[in-house]
Amino acid sequence: MATHAITVDDATYQEVRDQRLLGFLFFLISDVIVFSSFIYGYIYLRSTVMAWPPPGIEPAALYMAGVNSIVLFGSGATMHYAMEFFKHGDKRKFVGFMIATIILGIGFLSGQAFEYFNLLHAGTTWPSSIYGASFFTLTGLHGFHVFIGVIYLITVLIQAQKGVYTQQRYFGLTAGALYWHFVDVIWVALFSLLYVWK
Amino acid sequence: MSMGHEEHKLDAGFWRATIVMGVISALGMWGVVIFPIQNYVPEAAGIAVQIDWLFKFMAFFSVPILVYVNGYMLYFTVRYRNRKGQPIDEPGSSIHDHKALEFWWTAIPSALMLVLGILSYLLIPTYYTAASAKTNSVTIEAIGHQFSWAFRYPGLRDPVPDELHLPINVPVTIDVTSTDVIHSFWVPAFRMKQDMIPGMVVPMTFTPTEIGKYEIVCTEFCGVGHSGMRDRFVYVQSQNDFDAWYAGEKTKQAHQPTEVTAAVLASGDAAAGQALFQSHCTTCHNAAPFDQRKVGPGLANLFNDPAHPELLSGKPPTPADVAEILEHGLTGSYGQMPNEQMNGISAKDIADLVAYLKTLK
Amino acid sequence: MQAAVGTAHVPHGHIHPPPDTFIKKYIFSQDHKVIAVQYFITSGLFFVLAGLLAEMMRAQLASANNTLLSPQTYNEAYSVHGSAMVWLVIIPILTGAFGNLIMPLQIGARDVAFPWLNMFSFWLFPPAGILLFGSFIWGAPEAGWTEYPPISLQQSFGTSMWCMAIFLIGVSSTITGLNFLVTIIKMRAPGMTWTRMPLFVWATAVTAFLSFIATANLSAALLGLLIERTFGVPFYDPAKGGSPVLWQHIFWFYSHPAVYIMILPAFGIVSEILPTFCRRPIFGYKAIAYSSVAIGLVSFAVWAHHMFTSGLAPWVQLPFMIMTMIVGIPTGVKIFSWVATLWGGNIRLTTPLYFVLGFLSTFTFGGITGIMLASVPADVHEHATYFVVAHLHYVLFGGSVFGIFAGLYYWWPKMTGRMLDETLGKIHFWLMFVSFNATFLPMHWIGLEGMPRRVSTYDPQYQDTNLFITISAFVLGASMLVFAYNAIKSTISGREAGQNPWGARTLEWMIPSPPPYYNFEDIPVVLSGPYDYGKPLPYREIKGDLSYMPLV
Repeated sequence: MATHAITVDDATYQEVRDQRLLGFLFFLISDVIVFSSFIYGYIYLRSTVMAWPPPGIEPAALYMAGVNSIVLFGSGATMHYAMEFFKHGDKRKFVGFMIATIILGIGFLSGQAFEYFNLLHAGTTWPSSIYGASFFTLTGLHGFHVFIGVIYLITVLIQAQKGVYTQQRYFGLTAGALYWHFVDVIWVALFSLLYVWK
Repeated sequence: MSMGHEEHKLDAGFWRATIVMGVISALGMWGVVIFPIQNYVPEAAGIAVQIDWLFKFMAFFSVPILVYVNGYMLYFTVRYRNRKGQPIDEPGSSIHDHKALEFWWTAIPSALMLVLGILSYLLIPTYYTAASAKTNSVTIEAIGHQFSWAFRYPGLRDPVPDELHLPINVPVTIDVTSTDVIHSFWVPAFRMKQDMIPGMVVPMTFTPTEIGKYEIVCTEFCGVGHSGMRDRFVYVQSQNDFDAWYAGEKTKQAHQPTEVTAAVLASGDAAAGQALFQSHCTTCHNAAPFDQRKVGPGLANLFNDPAHPELLSGKPPTPADVAEILEHGLTGSYGQMPNEQMNGISAKDIADLVAYLKTLK
Repeated sequence: MQAAVGTAHVPHGHIHPPPDTFIKKYIFSQDHKVIAVQYFITSGLFFVLAGLLAEMMRAQLASANNTLLSPQTYNEAYSVHGSAMVWLVIIPILTGAFGNLIMPLQIGARDVAFPWLNMFSFWLFPPAGILLFGSFIWGAPEAGWTEYPPISLQQSFGTSMWCMAIFLIGVSSTITGLNFLVTIIKMRAPGMTWTRMPLFVWATAVTAFLSFIATANLSAALLGLLIERTFGVPFYDPAKGGSPVLWQHIFWFYSHPAVYIMILPAFGIVSEILPTFCRRPIFGYKAIAYSSVAIGLVSFAVWAHHMFTSGLAPWVQLPFMIMTMIVGIPTGVKIFSWVATLWGGNIRLTTPLYFVLGFLSTFTFGGITGIMLASVPADVHEHATYFVVAHLHYVLFGGSVFGIFAGLYYWWPKMTGRMLDETLGKIHFWLMFVSFNATFLPMHWIGLEGMPRRVSTYDPQYQDTNLFITISAFVLGASMLVFAYNAIKSTISGREAGQNPWGARTLEWMIPSPPPYYNFEDIPVVLSGPYDYGKPLPYREIKGDLSYMPLV
């Protein structure tokens, strides 16, 4: 796949890149809709009860999620810089910021795992209530997407090291960055809905 | 390479066909108007008459649409088919569109839809009543089970299985719910249907206007017994016949002998009751206000809060009432309240629980 | 407007070398035409299986208290029948088969935007079908293709298999949708502006949009159901704080657009066949094109008309009633435009046109009963009765299946290079049209009288009508054998079709039958719309040595 990217002429590459970008955007839109369905379910269920969390349920702590959010948004920033440095040809800085992004992504996942551990310890399990159902399903789905994103970014980094991308042809990297920002945007929504909304 | 046949126009044949279709439509529309629906399905409630009228309204305007669409389709296919000797590749008319025609065939159906929408919307509140409008009607609960119905009447302690008796010409609100899966409560003769959804109570109001026996049909798949969940009936009766039936039910349901006598009740221990509540009741009940529902309602302030429904007597329950429910069980809006055998509790336990409940403010 | 398609260079000349091994040519092919045939064969198989389930159901319903099938078996039969027809037959044939076969040809492309994804999308399909039909082993789902909780939470493992099967086919549908939409947006031949596109492409574009936007909701609903069934996580079970109505909302938010996925391509097929056999432009091209877009958009606003008896407040029911009535208007506009196309034509009554005429008759009827269901008070009586069973079959069989057969008879020569027998085609049509109406027309009446749906036994007052329906249903099933015989006969000894046996004007008829793997030797330039019979063909080839290699 990658070798073709180098061997075709500019006009053909541009055409194919535009198609792939559009297709990837459509994919991201459909993924947003999956999340929005679960978010609709959360809002719907939450509107059937008086108090949230329901009585007797220990909710997730805001401060932990706040720290985690900073980690994730930070990784969005490092991703942005990685892209910029790639486009300007600064390989070392590109690699550095990619590694930072990946590490921060793994950090977020670790933070989530820690938070899950605390909640399970406090008795708030996935099947315990509609709180658990909403919280773990939404954050779990998001965490799964972060995990896939980390794997993909590692792959992109390896591909970059192999010289697959040039300064003019780097769609795989663009897709990775877009996906990573999408994951951030979803988190903004989840953080507001699950933690901030009282 | 001619530029299309401008000689195609709406000729005498077209207008003849249009008139013939008009006559057929008129006959069909007249047929809709005079068709006696009530000879096939009784119109046993006021709302049934109105819904039938609405259906006829829709059928009335559907007739010309169907006649003309099918009619023109057949007429054009025959009239403009390739004739012997006509070149098979001769192009037909080159007309692409016709603004005026397209405008009218969009505007007229839109106008009809608008009228239909208004007529429909005006009808909804007549049967789909908010709770506040229930004051001028009798409320009966209809509870769906796998695979039967149970009807709870005001003043009758136990639900009546599989028979709905209604007095004629009295507005009635049916509060519809279920204890297990989604069922549906449909009386074709009333044209009334409401899904019975566990966890929800949905009201439906109508006035029966014809004495008779009308089938109730479950029309939402509810399990292997769904097909058999029919063949139960609504009995619309004269007021006298209804009163007689009601009195008969009341006698049948007269208070059963109880172990939880007044003496036993008086010796109840609230602390023991609290422990029993934790172990036996918290699956379904909160020790919290009425609206803090789990499966059953919250039980705080049970004896004074008018929100607690008139389970037995139309008034908030007395300790003896509560003891009776604990002893014999109850089928209510939200499920089956198990009796003492199913709960594994004794008469003394019941007394303790009642004493505890009295402490919950 | 040379730049209309957004390509500064024009694909021409160098053609990607063809696949060489048997596996790459026929099994894991990335050629849209081969993939289309794969979809046709697989969907055809599931059509037969789901049809047999229907005949089993009708055999049981031949008498009122029949004991041919146990209630459980009957319930499994109707649930898998519905699920298979929707997800393994109608949607894959109209999108995966017809969309793949015709759309790239009609826009003058060599393939779709993402050929590998196209292949991947197809190969999700057989496993999904195996999962769905395999569910019989562990106890197939019994609560219909809609699987409402709480009952669907209580059923055996087969229901979880159903969740997985439909999830898989949903992923396939999503990928195909975005693939097709990117193809149509980005890969049209030079000069083919949106208003010069064939109407089947318009239909496919809107369908593709619906496919990847709506299906995501189904995926979420199914995941929720599977998670709740497997881990007890409360979404839908009211005993644990969940809501059954929540399932209905999310399910129908997908499933209503899904019914438009199932009809819009059929509309497109009708719009292609009429101009060809009337030998004149389609009446109201823009109205038909834009009404497809309108239908697609409004389809997201009507879902709760499936829930009018689910306890929604009247102020919630009102907008859904209004939008449902509104969505009938663009559909009506199409029907009137199609009938107007017949006026002033030079009509050849071929088999494809017969099926189009049959479609117009039955689909219009189905649309009318749809409006009768849109009115909330009327729906209170009609909902979940045989009236709805009648309506849905008039639009899905009378609409989609008649449209599918119209398209099959029309494009069979292009796909295979051989003609189907016209006489057999007409026999098939008449058998199918008469028996279809005999099967489903009486259902309106018994539904209004009081027969509920999803029952294996019923009140004896409906006995005679049901027996009549059963006999008609068996004739309907048998009519398919005529088509099967015709197809086999054509494959073995059918008359050679040539490039353009119907004398049509869209691009697929400008290349050999069957098309070579590269479709077009030279990508054409499009000068105007495709339905102007009487004018010269609006295509011009471009010469040059610019190369195009689809990246795979």
